[in-house]
Amino acid sequence: MSGIFGSTVLDVAIGLVFVYLLLALLCTSANELVAALTKSRPKLLKKGITQLLDNQPTDLAKDDSGAFINEFYRHPLVTGMMNGSKHPAYLPSRTFATVVIDLLTREKAGRKEISDLENGLATIPSGDLKHALLALVQSAEDLESAQKAIEGWYEDAMDRVSGWYKRRTQAWTVVVALLITVLANADTIHVARRLWRDPVLRSAVVEEAKSRAQKPRPSVSVEYPDPDDPTNPTVVTNEGNTVSADERALLGQVLGWQGSLADNTSRDWFERILGWLITILAICLGAPFWFDILNKFMNVRSAGKSPDEAAKKPEKRKLAPADKSA
Amino acid sequence: MKPLKRLTTVALLLFASTTICRADITLALNKSFVNKVRNKATITTNLTVDAHPKDPHSIKDDGEDGDIHMAGRDSLIQLPLVAEILNARREPTAMQLLKTLGIVPVSITGVWRIWFEHLGTIDQIQGTPAPNPAPKGSNPDHLFEIHPITTFAGVDVLDSFVEVPGYQAYPASIAFPYYDDRDATIQASQTAIMIASGQAKYNYADFVMEIAGKPKDVGDGFIVLGNVYDSAGSLENPVSAKVHRMIFVKGTPPAAKLLTLSKGDTMHVLGIPRVNLTDVFLITSKNGTNQVSLKLPYEMIIAALLP
Repeated sequence: MSGIFGSTVLDVAIGLVFVYLLLALLCTSANELVAALTKSRPKLLKKGITQLLDNQPTDLAKDDSGAFINEFYRHPLVTGMMNGSKHPAYLPSRTFATVVIDLLTREKAGRKEISDLENGLATIPSGDLKHALLALVQSAEDLESAQKAIEGWYEDAMDRVSGWYKRRTQAWTVVVALLITVLANADTIHVARRLWRDPVLRSAVVEEAKSRAQKPRPSVSVEYPDPDDPTNPTVVTNEGNTVSADERALLGQVLGWQGSLADNTSRDWFERILGWLITILAICLGAPFWFDILNKFMNVRSAGKSPDEAAKKPEKRKLAPADKSA
Repeated sequence: MKPLKRLTTVALLLFASTTICRADITLALNKSFVNKVRNKATITTNLTVDAHPKDPHSIKDDGEDGDIHMAGRDSLIQLPLVAEILNARREPTAMQLLKTLGIVPVSITGVWRIWFEHLGTIDQIQGTPAPNPAPKGSNPDHLFEIHPITTFAGVDVLDSFVEVPGYQAYPASIAFPYYDDRDATIQASQTAIMIASGQAKYNYADFVMEIAGKPKDVGDGFIVLGNVYDSAGSLENPVSAKVHRMIFVKGTPPAAKLLTLSKGDTMHVLGIPRVNLTDVFLITSKNGTNQVSLKLPYEMIIAALLP
């Protein structure tokens, strides 16, 4: 091969993409562990519900600003969703609204009307929830529309919770990427230099990258374990999500701390930190992204489709133009 | 090469490759809507038809499929919307009604279909009112279709689910590898599900379906798992590695045929792809609000039996 596409430059680029892919896979696994350990989703849901229901005394506990929320969490519809004392990770809006209305209308037995909710609101002491609900139900014509209004209020709050969760997840991704990068000294500039100078290592990395490109894209997919029930699938993660022992061993050769740090000049440190930052940014792009890039590079390198791609694409029997209309 | 030059070249190569991005469009759907329709064949709504062509498409191949399509608005789906009657020349009563219809809501039932074909350039969010009049006549940018229609203004058009005479659909060996290779990202909030994907095509596929399980009655239709083969190939080489959900509408000739067959039997059919919202819903249920990259899950609407 000649030109850039048959050159060392392309192999170094493939090596870097491969390293980013493996680091991103490790980061994903670590993130899942963090999410499981910190139980962040239930915690944030509790925080969101507390924002809605806190600072509201009840007629039975007029001086306790946490009385209403305590009653909310003692309600059988809510305790039924808890695993022991563990807060659920999800609470449907209908359940939330039903419990709130039930607590405010508990004096009334049997079928409840909007007037029962209005009476309930009139009798509880002043508090944040009372003010919010008065504003929500003032235009409700019946209990059903009041329930819908409360559900909408809760769903708006849950969108905020989702926003918090997303930001927290993104923050954890950066933190985990930072830890992995620094601990492994995954300095992009240093790695590129090593791959450039060491043809044996470069060749080993490219060979391993080839094997990786043959694996499925890191992804989740859905399978139907019972062929007689097409409405009940399960989610499976594929083998593309795991880093093999060979890949881990190769990462160990490419990355790591070598030599004495005492000899490093300020220029060395500047380069290293710049290299870390590039790596962190790359990890944050995610494994599926780097897998796709790796496949593109492999296709270019082999001047055509990868073997598995070629196998997937049938010979064109008929070439029709793209659809022009619906 | 000088070290700096080398690094710059590598960096440029990486940068160039990473900036080749797909022109994805996001469809944001209400989670409760997804949950309601995901295991249904059809949907019913009151559609105000804004525009439609005077006559059905001609029949040849590709978009010349003999359908009549109409763009409109409704208060249930609340997305840019196009509805289509298959084999429209076979349905003179419905065609006459369509031509004489004013800008008034009309009851319409048909197979719901999400497909990233006419995606345009703007994200589509359920609940955002469709512009009036529809921006591009009878075929505006849209991701949601009612296609094929089963009842139009009280007129039953279930008998339109038959072969379109003279129409050449895409062979399975071209269409299914293409469907299998659509990239997508899916993400959920507490109340919405966002599906992002790029341009998709191949509306109609000609394939042989091998029944892989028992059909499940979902009220308005049947869902069954099926393997997919090319009608010109052998039954030893499926053109898609996975089984796919096949959607049959009750009262149509393909559904009647399905009920006479058993696991392992085959049918030569005309199918239309749509996003599999059951898979989408499950993935978002398992992944919370995390973004998931995957191949676009799809299922096939069975539109006709082929000889």
